[in-house]
Amino acid sequence: MSDIKFIGVEKTYGRKKQLKRILDDIDITLTRGECILLTGKNGCGKSTLLRILSGMLKPDEATVITGLQSSNWKKSRKLLRNQVMYLYQEPYMFDGTVYRNLSYAISGVDAKQKINQVLEWADLKHRENTEAKCLSGGEKQRVALAQAWLKQPDVLLLDEPTANMDDTSRKSTEALLKKFKDTGTALLIASHDINHFSHIMDKRFALIDGELNDVTNISESSQNNHDDQMNSVKKYANNISLFPQNTQKK
Amino acid sequence: MESLGATTLEAITLLLSGDEELWDIIGISFQISTTAILIAIVPAILIGFALAYAEFPGRRLLISFFNTLLAVPAVVVGLTLYILLSRQGPLGEWKLLFTQTSMVLGQIALSFPILVAMSHSAFQSAEIRAWDTARTLGSNPLSSFLIIMREVRFGLFSALLAGYGRIIAEVGASMMLGGNILNYTRNIPTAIALETSKGEFAQGIALGIILVSMAFLLTMTLQYLQGRGALVHE
Repeated sequence: MSDIKFIGVEKTYGRKKQLKRILDDIDITLTRGECILLTGKNGCGKSTLLRILSGMLKPDEATVITGLQSSNWKKSRKLLRNQVMYLYQEPYMFDGTVYRNLSYAISGVDAKQKINQVLEWADLKHRENTEAKCLSGGEKQRVALAQAWLKQPDVLLLDEPTANMDDTSRKSTEALLKKFKDTGTALLIASHDINHFSHIMDKRFALIDGELNDVTNISESSQNNHDDQMNSVKKYANNISLFPQNTQKK
Repeated sequence: MESLGATTLEAITLLLSGDEELWDIIGISFQISTTAILIAIVPAILIGFALAYAEFPGRRLLISFFNTLLAVPAVVVGLTLYILLSRQGPLGEWKLLFTQTSMVLGQIALSFPILVAMSHSAFQSAEIRAWDTARTLGSNPLSSFLIIMREVRFGLFSALLAGYGRIIAEVGASMMLGGNILNYTRNIPTAIALETSKGEFAQGIALGIILVSMAFLLTMTLQYLQGRGALVHE
């Protein structure tokens, strides 16, 4: 797999007079074996960005570069669907057992054997015949990661993967994510929990007012101050009309 | 008029005796309604799915259109098709009026809005996450559609039952389009209407028993299937 590079990702929500630019000219590269942590306040567009990168949500603008090929998002959608996998904060479980849910992620003659292996891998063997909809949040996340393990995507995008989890479930999820990273999967994790992923994180980006900022070398407390200062400057700038509002930019 | 008890007893005897005319009416009824529902169900489910998941211009208008059709009386559907199929009508050359085919067309027209509206609601009940998850797991659009159909199967089955229930017991359109011809287009509801007008209540009650038994059987089947599909609580 070569890196997947997204250039100029833009997304606007709302109708004509109330347009809100949620993503503003974002560039991001997803590299094999690299883990990026994406932070930002609620509603800042983290999930929107992840859904665009996974090929699920159409952006207003975006160019996708893989290897030497460059094309617009629409033309790359099939490739993104195949190579990128997006996991929800609370993964959706289909009707049926854990085994059946896993079977949707794989086909072929050795499917049964691989499912049995992944049940062990994700510590779900004892849950094999349990209704998947009845699992706890942590177990559902493990089923989703097991599906990802079976599908073997090049890139794994995770939306708040450890939110509302107890310590045991969180540690177990983090351990599985580490395994993905070790096998060369590119990870992009949207989360508020900076500390939980510090041991696997290579880069940290913050999404502020639709813009992506590299904050890898800024501590969490400094970043909060930095965010507040940035917001104050932007508010002041908007008030005195030095810079146009985001909504009027283009 | 004989007492209700005696008439009901006579109706049951008629059913059990295997009265050829009576069972012929029942056979025609089920044959026409089953054909209509089998033709209508596939396009109706596809439209219901598209209304729930696809973004296209006029989607909301189409939903309102099908919801409005739910309230159109059977006799109006019958009248419209009668005008179209009558000798002077635009489709008069097909010579379909007073045939089983015209009854099937009428029943398709009657069941279609119910099937679309109820399958639309069934698909709406499945979250968008279900579709996205199926797609992200690598399923192609057709496989994802089948997975979602499995997710909402009880809702779709309810739609099927509601659609079937409406047409098997419908009298207005069947009478206008079929003409109530014995051994050809006479079905259960038109026979009940005819026999009652002649004061022959036994055959009417016998046919009514069949309809009620069928409704009971279908409801029990649905309940059984839903029971099997219920969540297992720990």
